Amino acid sequence: MADPTLFEFLHTEMVAELWAQDPDPGPGGQKTSLLVLEGMGFRVGQALGERLPRETLAFREELDILKFLCKDLWVAVFHKQMDSLRTNHQGTYVLQDNSFPLLVRMASGLQYLEEAPKFLAFTCGLLRGTLSTLGVKSLVTASVAALPSCKFQVVIQKP
Amino acid sequence: MTVHNLYLFDRNGVCLHYSEWHRKKQAGIPKEEEYKLMYGMLFSIRSFVSKMSPLDMKDGFLAFQTSRYKLHYYETPTGIKVVMNTDLGVGPIRDVLHHIYSALYVELVVKNPLCPLGQTVQSELFRSRLDSYVRSLPFFSTRAG
Repeated sequence: MADPTLFEFLHTEMVAELWAQDPDPGPGGQKTSLLVLEGMGFRVGQALGERLPRETLAFREELDILKFLCKDLWVAVFHKQMDSLRTNHQGTYVLQDNSFPLLVRMASGLQYLEEAPKFLAFTCGLLRGTLSTLGVKSLVTASVAALPSCKFQVVIQKP
Repeated sequence: MTVHNLYLFDRNGVCLHYSEWHRKKQAGIPKEEEYKLMYGMLFSIRSFVSKMSPLDMKDGFLAFQTSRYKLHYYETPTGIKVVMNTDLGVGPIRDVLHHIYSALYVELVVKNPLCPLGQTVQSELFRSRLDSYVRSLPFFSTRAG
């Protein structure tokens, strides 16, 4: 696979470009940019969902799909595995990454905390897109308590 | 053996970072003036060294020393200059300065989406990693030499 820095630089520029074009610093404008980033991540995730699973064909249950996200998807995109996966066995999963590569160079603690969500929107979409190709409709949100550790919350939507 | 202070400049003379560990005497001028003075001196020495060198230039200006301290210099092809003042017992530290550039500046500032290049570095992570790296160097001791 390619040098991870290439994707990191590209992602940095995507976030910067979307924020630079948006002259309205209020919550309305910010939300649009976050949605655009999430949409981009969604389409990339959809494609990756088709391309990635090669040997692992039998996803017997939801948990297997989530494990696939934590292991194979994370390794393919970020070259490391997710650090922890928790669930309430009722459709909500919390994926925790203690040193998320897109955040790890920014700070180790609380500096830049309010900027962090911008850098997580694309990845939320990525997770949602991959899940959607694998047949699971979901809602993904991210939260950061202290960089570079972050949590992605996946809530499965029952039809 | 000790490290007194460290300056980091970019190719336009902007002082990106300054830290000090053991400095008994200040320059007596405001910090902005001090940075300009340091940068101007480096610029002049570099061109002096390349003009007056009796042999073909290999690495150019590396260091100068006085009876009390030694100033080490490292410049990258992109114009980033790392300047470290240490006491006299310290030998060539080009690899240390290179590590400061590649493993600290490039990793934590260039790759940080929130650090605009060409301005003083605000990242706390960079500051603290640089501090712990310098403190871990074999020639850094808490007793000022």
